[in-house]
Amino acid sequence: MEKIVVDANKGSFSLNLKELYSYRDLFLIMAWRDLRVRYAQTFLGLAWAVIQPLITLVIFTIVFGRFVKVDTGGIPYPVFALCGMVAWTYFGFVMNQSGNSIIGAQEMIKKIYFPRLIIPLSKAVVGLVDLCIAFLMLFVLIIIYGVSISHNIFFLPFFFLLAVMSSLGAGIWLSALSIRYRDFQHITPFLVQVGLYATPIAYPGETVISNLPDWAVFLFYLNPMAGIVEGFRWAVLGQGNLNAVSYISFAMVAILFSTGIFYFRKVERLMADIV
Amino acid sequence: MSEIAISVSHLSKKFFIGNHQSGDLRESFRRKINQVFKNEKGKKEPFWALRDLNCEIKAGTITGIIGRNGAGKSTLLKILSRITYPTSGKFEIEGRVSSLLEVGTGFHSELTGRENVFLNGTILGMRRTEIKEKFDAIVNFSGIENFIDTPVKHYSSGMVVRLAFSVAAHLEPEILMIDEVLAVGDAEFQKKCLGKMDEVTKQEGRTILFVSHNMAAVEHLCTGGILLEKGQIRAHGDIGDVVEKYLASETDAPNDKTKEISFGNGVIGRNFTLSHSSIAIHGDLSYSITIESPAVNQFTDLALLVYNHLNERIGVVDLRHQDLLRRSALSRTFTVSGKIRGLPLIPGTYLFGLYVVSFLCRGDFLNLKRLEIIKPKTEFVPYAEKHRGYVEFDNTFSIS
Repeated sequence: MEKIVVDANKGSFSLNLKELYSYRDLFLIMAWRDLRVRYAQTFLGLAWAVIQPLITLVIFTIVFGRFVKVDTGGIPYPVFALCGMVAWTYFGFVMNQSGNSIIGAQEMIKKIYFPRLIIPLSKAVVGLVDLCIAFLMLFVLIIIYGVSISHNIFFLPFFFLLAVMSSLGAGIWLSALSIRYRDFQHITPFLVQVGLYATPIAYPGETVISNLPDWAVFLFYLNPMAGIVEGFRWAVLGQGNLNAVSYISFAMVAILFSTGIFYFRKVERLMADIV
Repeated sequence: MSEIAISVSHLSKKFFIGNHQSGDLRESFRRKINQVFKNEKGKKEPFWALRDLNCEIKAGTITGIIGRNGAGKSTLLKILSRITYPTSGKFEIEGRVSSLLEVGTGFHSELTGRENVFLNGTILGMRRTEIKEKFDAIVNFSGIENFIDTPVKHYSSGMVVRLAFSVAAHLEPEILMIDEVLAVGDAEFQKKCLGKMDEVTKQEGRTILFVSHNMAAVEHLCTGGILLEKGQIRAHGDIGDVVEKYLASETDAPNDKTKEISFGNGVIGRNFTLSHSSIAIHGDLSYSITIESPAVNQFTDLALLVYNHLNERIGVVDLRHQDLLRRSALSRTFTVSGKIRGLPLIPGTYLFGLYVVSFLCRGDFLNLKRLEIIKPKTEFVPYAEKHRGYVEFDNTFSIS
């Protein structure tokens, strides 16, 4: 027989991953609901997933490919930029969705118990639709430009996993913070916009390393997506080497994700009272 | 079965009035700075929604939690269903728990009825395979088979409630916690649900906690009761005794005052009061209302309208009088008060309204006051509601 013990006098704190696993049905159905609702909003929802990166790509190609003439190491600029954008779009979408997810689910939170972490976590699945579309666009471009795919492609799942973790890490932090401080709702779109330029998407990471002092490079790679975007490009196009500084980013992913979950677990108990 | 299903010890929950824990950053900084420099703890005013609660609930019993608004009923239920966390204290629950604080949690209007059954069922804690098994039963119960593949946004609100209820009624946890969810939905369907719950509990020996204002439902369904008052347990035991205690404490408390009633053209009703919010059968009920007009405004008609829970008009208290005509023709404000002796209505919930005809305004103004009529437990089970009619005669008889 199941047994529930809640003792507020003991300051015990556990991640309770076992409980989280026992709610996997809920995770799946929440993810499925989001997917289903996104599709239900018909064609435009999906078209948007194509149009948005496409326009950004066109602008990037004109500004950075033609005007500035960024050194891409011989790779056609649109392929170069889109490869970075694939990872970034996923990150931006999931961070935004899971960041707002707790506020969006407040009615549910006030009415029923379940591990609240399910909500931001389930948002990682919806982003996959957009990610697939972006990958599809990338492969179309790769074929059009006749670029060869690198052998490193086998490492792509690893970088994909990092992208999921970092977007969830950021999303979980934001979702937990934004119930306490509503300001964080406005921070997310800002982060997405700034990050688009502060991450080596439109330009290669080498440019940063060779043009900035060491401390600035360090700061630059504190952005977890900096290393991941480079990793995507390295895995798909074989462009550049994975810089040693990229590992700063990977360490940041681990830190962001684990601290996010801990902080979330800490405020989880208060959520129903303060939303 | 006499095992303990739920045991609660020293449970307390504190809230802060006038202090929002969520807000913007600036607000939060200001508070922190105030705390550091002025050594004042903001304007925090602790409020104990629950204070040092101790109780044990046996497995297989149905316990009604009653008490006035703000007594801590819902807070207790929210803590036990783990929606909020207690400030201090401890509780243990043996068995699989489901809580129903509302029906249709998580329903999404873009999704079809079928999809919503799965979604809502999962949220309420059912396994996917379990929902599949019960799916046909759920749909049959709701009576909306024909629309099950239509998006819920095309449903009437009644249909949504029926579907949501059906999912809830098919929950089979060992312990079920219900907040006044039964207050919605049409009466017919409500009864069907109560019936279903009754049936299931009695058969399977489930433990149920039931928070309600509906004394008739509580008395009918529950075996035990807990009376909460100001966050503490005032009585715990047989439901009849607990309801009696509740009523005794209610008698001296007037029905909470309604805000102003606007009759139109600036005519306002103030302090419309009934002496009770729940009353035993054949009790006396006093009422009063003050009416204010912007100008002298003669009233030709004034009546109290009494409706039952099916929205049928049960009676009219006629307040037309020579004095009403005279008084309202002379003064801009007047007060009517009176007393209905020995209310002969069957137990249930009643709604009071007003019928007004004056120079400046006229019309029916409904749902202004709520009155609960309760029958003390008798030796015999009361007749089913549909056979009971509308009135309960004040009757004495002898058999020789």
